[in-house]
Amino acid sequence: MPFLNRLLNQLLIWLLIWLLILFAPAVALARAPADGLAPTPSGAALSGAEVVTPHLTARLLPEQSRVVPGDQIDLLLVFDLQPGWHTYWRNPGDSGEPPRLSWTLPEGVTAGPIQWPYPSRIPVGPLANYGYFDQALHLVSLSVDPDWPAGRDIPVELDVRWLVCEEHCIPESGQFALNLATAAVASEASAMPGDPMTAVLFEQARAALPKVLPADALMDPSGDPLLLRLSREGLPAGIQELEFFADAWGLIEHAAEQPWRLRGDWLELELTPGATPASVAPSGVLVATTAEGVRAWEFSASVQPLLPLADADAPALGLPLALAFALLGGLVLNLMPCVFPVLAIKLLGLAEQRDLGRAARAWHALLYSAGVLVFFTLLGVALLVLRAAGAAAGWGFQLQSPVFVALMAGLFLVLGLGLFGAFTLGTSLMGLGGGGRLLAENAPGQVRLDRAALAAFGTGALAALVAAPCTAPFMGAALGYALTQPWFAALAVILTLGLGMALPFALLSVFPAWARSLPRPGVWMERLKQLLAFPLFATTAWLLWVLAQQSGPSGLALVLTALLALVFGLWLLETARQDGHGWRRGWSLGLRLLALASVLAALGLIIQLSPLANPAAPAAGTGQAAESSHQLSAAPYSAAALESALDQGRPVFVNMTAAWCITCLVNERVALGTAQVARAFAEREVLYLKGDWTNHDPAISAYLNAFGRDGVPLYVYYAPGAKPEVLPQLLTPGLVVDALTTTSATGL
Amino acid sequence: MKPISKQSSITASLALIALLFGMNLAAAPEVGALAPDFSVVDTKGEIWTLDHLKGQPAILEWTNHDCPYVRKHYDADNMQRLQRKAADQEVVWLSVISSAPGKQGHVTPKQADELTASRDAAPTAVLLDESGDMGRAYGASTTPHMFIIDAEGKLIYMGGIDDRASTDLADIEGATNYVDLVLAELAAKEPISVSVTRPYGCSVKY
Repeated sequence: MPFLNRLLNQLLIWLLIWLLILFAPAVALARAPADGLAPTPSGAALSGAEVVTPHLTARLLPEQSRVVPGDQIDLLLVFDLQPGWHTYWRNPGDSGEPPRLSWTLPEGVTAGPIQWPYPSRIPVGPLANYGYFDQALHLVSLSVDPDWPAGRDIPVELDVRWLVCEEHCIPESGQFALNLATAAVASEASAMPGDPMTAVLFEQARAALPKVLPADALMDPSGDPLLLRLSREGLPAGIQELEFFADAWGLIEHAAEQPWRLRGDWLELELTPGATPASVAPSGVLVATTAEGVRAWEFSASVQPLLPLADADAPALGLPLALAFALLGGLVLNLMPCVFPVLAIKLLGLAEQRDLGRAARAWHALLYSAGVLVFFTLLGVALLVLRAAGAAAGWGFQLQSPVFVALMAGLFLVLGLGLFGAFTLGTSLMGLGGGGRLLAENAPGQVRLDRAALAAFGTGALAALVAAPCTAPFMGAALGYALTQPWFAALAVILTLGLGMALPFALLSVFPAWARSLPRPGVWMERLKQLLAFPLFATTAWLLWVLAQQSGPSGLALVLTALLALVFGLWLLETARQDGHGWRRGWSLGLRLLALASVLAALGLIIQLSPLANPAAPAAGTGQAAESSHQLSAAPYSAAALESALDQGRPVFVNMTAAWCITCLVNERVALGTAQVARAFAEREVLYLKGDWTNHDPAISAYLNAFGRDGVPLYVYYAPGAKPEVLPQLLTPGLVVDALTTTSATGL
Repeated sequence: MKPISKQSSITASLALIALLFGMNLAAAPEVGALAPDFSVVDTKGEIWTLDHLKGQPAILEWTNHDCPYVRKHYDADNMQRLQRKAADQEVVWLSVISSAPGKQGHVTPKQADELTASRDAAPTAVLLDESGDMGRAYGASTTPHMFIIDAEGKLIYMGGIDDRASTDLADIEGATNYVDLVLAELAAKEPISVSVTRPYGCSVKY
């Protein structure tokens, strides 16, 4: 029975191994640290090849028990860590230290470097480390000289210093000693098989070693974000998670998010540059999680400037089409509630210019357009500068600043009161009322840069300023496109947007036919002027509501007080202006100074808003204004929430919104707030995640960018096992329900 | 009014744009640019800001007395030696503790002063950055983590105390101490040769 014989032999060998393990010399522990105090680095005593400390057990294992001279033998330094404790990879990340090995080897035997399995990322507050939990495996090859006399043992001594951390860190060390038997021929070396448990450990260590990346890797370390681009051939399909570990400190910010996307033939990661990206080798390890498991590759990227790639996975939007969209978006901007009042005021000025010549009109129109375009240019340049500075700037970001919102609220209140006749606004103030008349005093054709011209220009700039935050449909796509383009294309798109906005008024100014059909001036104009104050007041009310979302009741109180001081100051000025003729100079001057102090106090109050910005402001739509009987219960968006729901195979509907986004609020009322949609969500157990962009939030900005957008609204539906479906920016209940019912697993 | 250098005017205009658009340019601190501002109370209850440092150079030392890497430099009198050297050169030395309450290294003002006395340390002041705001503004990641600011308030060095990342006292001898290097270059009015290095140590316990 040869089979039984073999079995008995195996059992005997096993028994011997276990006896050896059990009766190995006892182990001396490293001194346990007093609570909260790190011990002085203390060597644990030798137990052949095992060291036990309170935080880990370290072993040094040879793969075979014998080695043939001229050959190599692999050793494995194993750390079995206590739960919660970790040791470090070769780049430990923001802090920490990798294990340091110093070998004492006889002449003719040399040790190679540690071969490191891929690490995991260990977040520590705002920082991140690279290292290992549970078990850390360090593989080292020893080379034995062919001249080594066969039969003589090789004494191997290893002194290891390591840092082991939980929340706090303990430096430890240990000495290991082994005697490696040598054999003349390979058959003798393999006649003594190693312990099967050891074989498993070696297998695990080798499986986790990063392979050489079978693809091109390009990196642009001068950029921000630092782009890493890998050719998709050679990478597996269906990557779910991706993480890049830099080989050395200084290349990337270890704790930063690493958004990635597939674009055409490339996979692109956006990394946040570290302290010295240009002076560090652009190499590291890429770890990808697919349905089949985790794969890791190591590579050294070639450094070259990288231009942004067109997003091949989104419907490609060519420059001409983007420009057309931008023009259309600009036209639509004129109808937005936050710009229409300004236009109305302009139209009023226009009604007063009936006797103007064509040249003067054209000049006026031109200046207005220039005002719009200059503002858009500034915005575009600022956007590009911010993009370069790595700030995720989204369209409408001015309205994320409570100070800006408060100043706009004050401006509209003052303009409204001016139209109401509460005080006479100087023509210097954005050309209200008197701008047209002043222009009329110029002989036609005589063009000077006077106050009227400035007024026309100012109105244009103002109109553009207040229009910017209203992301109209068409605009999201055009701007998303613009921000992924080289600067000139981005500016072209933004300027076309401005052109679209300026066009209707400019045409109205130039076309005499239009101008002739405007009614004759009269008393009605005063009434109309007063009527036009109401949209301005409404805008103020809306802005104050936005502010309440951003800064809470205390911020609102602050701004209302500021508005009070502002209006009081202007009233004082008006009093001094109207009644001050017969007064003594000092009296009038004093009143004016008091007025100035009052206005300055208002500004001082508004400036104080910045620290009041309340990042935990409730999402738009949870406020009273968007209350509805079928309010879907939303969870706040976070990448982690989305990921875990998708992992569970649950459908997810993501809604990115903001309190200052009119389109969003409308959609939430007319579509998402209906019983029909609520039912559809409930039937499929759709998780409804809502991201609130009222205040700037980098996580949401990153999400929007991933879909090539720069503004809200953005609606994305994730059906289980299908590609995410982006819904239009204008929703109907039917659209939403259709998306839920028709999207099925086709994406994989 | 000192003339504004090109670098700082770029920084200022960026800051202005950021202010205008209400964006927080949460950029990491940059060598050559103005150091991030801060407002932190010391163990005596005094408030320190960047403005307080104007007119003389300053060294910021992020510390946590329980961290083995910090202990290495204090047990060897290396950190104290640098503090005394800075004082002789009229350079302000601020030890900053960014450990959050309940985390390792967090101390009361009294405990901090006792630590200073028991270790013969000689910082100008010990700042208690319990909120971690100052640490985050500077991107302080380790203890020790050194930042050196010139008399104009510009950051001239950030990184490790020396080039030997270990907890071993024996490594102090023969290491290139970057703080010594910068102090020497400041005294000689020479340009700073090494301005960014890898900080090493325990993580800051935010």
